[in-house]
Amino acid sequence: MINTIAYGLTIGGILYIISIGLSLTFGTMRIVNFAHGLIYTIGAYLLITTLPFARNNFILGAVIAVIAVIPISYIIERFVVRKLYGISIDYAIIATYAVVLIGVDLIKWIWGASPIPLSDPVGIDVAFFGITIPLYRMIIIILAIVIFVALSIFFKKTMVGKIVVAALEDKDAVRSLGINVDKYFAYIFIIGSSLAALGGVLYAPITSVHPYMGTMVLLISFAVVLVGGLGNIKGTFVSAFVLGMVMSVTGRLWGPAAETMVFVVMGIVLIFKPIEV
Amino acid sequence: MNADKKVVEIHRAGIGKGLLDLFIIAAGFLLILPAMGINRTTDFIIFCVFVLGFNLLYGFMGRLSFGHMLYLGTGAYVITLFTEHISKNPFLATIAGIFAGALIGVILGPIIVRTTGACFALINLAFDQVGYFLVLVAFSKYTGGEDGMSAYFSKMGPIDFGNKSVMFGFALFCLLLTYFLLKKFISSPYGILIKSIKENETRVKFLGYNTFNYKWITFIISTSIAAFAGALSILNYGYVTPSFIDPSRAVEVIFAALIGGSGSLYGAIIGGVVYMSISNYLASYISRWEMFLGIALLICVFRFRSGIWGYVAGKLKTRIAV
Repeated sequence: MINTIAYGLTIGGILYIISIGLSLTFGTMRIVNFAHGLIYTIGAYLLITTLPFARNNFILGAVIAVIAVIPISYIIERFVVRKLYGISIDYAIIATYAVVLIGVDLIKWIWGASPIPLSDPVGIDVAFFGITIPLYRMIIIILAIVIFVALSIFFKKTMVGKIVVAALEDKDAVRSLGINVDKYFAYIFIIGSSLAALGGVLYAPITSVHPYMGTMVLLISFAVVLVGGLGNIKGTFVSAFVLGMVMSVTGRLWGPAAETMVFVVMGIVLIFKPIEV
Repeated sequence: MNADKKVVEIHRAGIGKGLLDLFIIAAGFLLILPAMGINRTTDFIIFCVFVLGFNLLYGFMGRLSFGHMLYLGTGAYVITLFTEHISKNPFLATIAGIFAGALIGVILGPIIVRTTGACFALINLAFDQVGYFLVLVAFSKYTGGEDGMSAYFSKMGPIDFGNKSVMFGFALFCLLLTYFLLKKFISSPYGILIKSIKENETRVKFLGYNTFNYKWITFIISTSIAAFAGALSILNYGYVTPSFIDPSRAVEVIFAALIGGSGSLYGAIIGGVVYMSISNYLASYISRWEMFLGIALLICVFRFRSGIWGYVAGKLKTRIAV
């Protein structure tokens, strides 16, 4: 039982790290970014590539992977996403999906299509209350909370954060103050993408790494964002952990239904709280 | 009296033009028949029915569904299960498939139709994922899971769907029927209303229309046509697999609608044929065809938004104007 809760919290933590970027791009730019799942996959693959160079030091490899994602996400933002601001949301979906097709094919080209397993980088179990939990999962949960706190401070205290929060409310009003909103959107896009890559890096040791790993995670992140509310930083945090628990509890009762249950919950939420986008 | 006559004449002209369209489509498919072979052409025709159904929602009502495979798959599975458990009559089974598509539209419609834009796309995708799971895992005892299951149809007098030319003729008939009905639907006041919903839903509401009902009914028609296409595929292949409901294939129909030109019936058919040709031939010549598809989609979105038919129609219009 406690094991299930711990597992749910782990998944919730990773889901939060991935979906916060999605929530921000969705909330500020009104763009559904399918490429988010691609960035997540690339993060995991870059970790695999950098690990041998970093002498199997997981933290160093992870940091290099997350930093290496920044130019990639900048290219996607500059040449695809930026051209779609304000245009019909359908084209944004199709264009970012096209980026996913290209990216996944490139991954298959470079790394091959077969799944690559990774081992737990910490490998120590912590025992308390009479049960044992891998320390790695504890670290993920703590990391998610740290990121939540850091982002909350970022949005409250820094200038960039304040501008973004204001733009979430009313983009045009911010623009009329003479602020180049698109520039800040680019920052937010890159921060969100880096977090997605971090999510990929953190999740890689728990599952195996394969070119299509991003798709399912992306769908679940969308569910998290829709349940939590677009651009709602606290809501995303809560809904990530709630849906993480849903997945873990369902997974314990009936394994294959875990991911489907998330969409059932999302459907129920949308029935009572439709979101106008 | 005079005005009455005029109305009748206009009406006749409309029917005449509709018949001309049907003739052109039929002639077009008969022309590509020798080049593609009868199996492929039947495939193309059935896919075009699916694109027409999708395009009603995307091109005319402006709602992008990212999970339309669910409705195709519903038709495909229901026709198979119907032949397995109730009757092997191909016509009854096809009708059962269409009704199943309509039923799923009736049930899911009130949830899905209230959303717009990205929400609409994603909630369709989510339901598609649920359906895929149900077919693949939850009800695998009845659906055959990953292996799928075969469907056998009895002969109806001279009509035997095992015969490829009968199947081709029937598929073409179904496409023409769908086209004709959709054409009538689009040019009716109702069709104009759903186009207005695409342009500005708030204003349509101001005019006093209950847009929810209109959207719901259009959604039901779209799901029924998609299920019809699914049922026809099974009639053609005689075999159903979870790939008929696989959410990751949703992009195929979107690409077809986009390349042909969304918002026109001809565009949907041209897009269906072009997409099927690309996926049939390109995949066998180029190993990196996913990348090619991605780049083609990007070009469509950034440079070629009106699609092939939009481009051709634009050229024709300027020539007539000059």
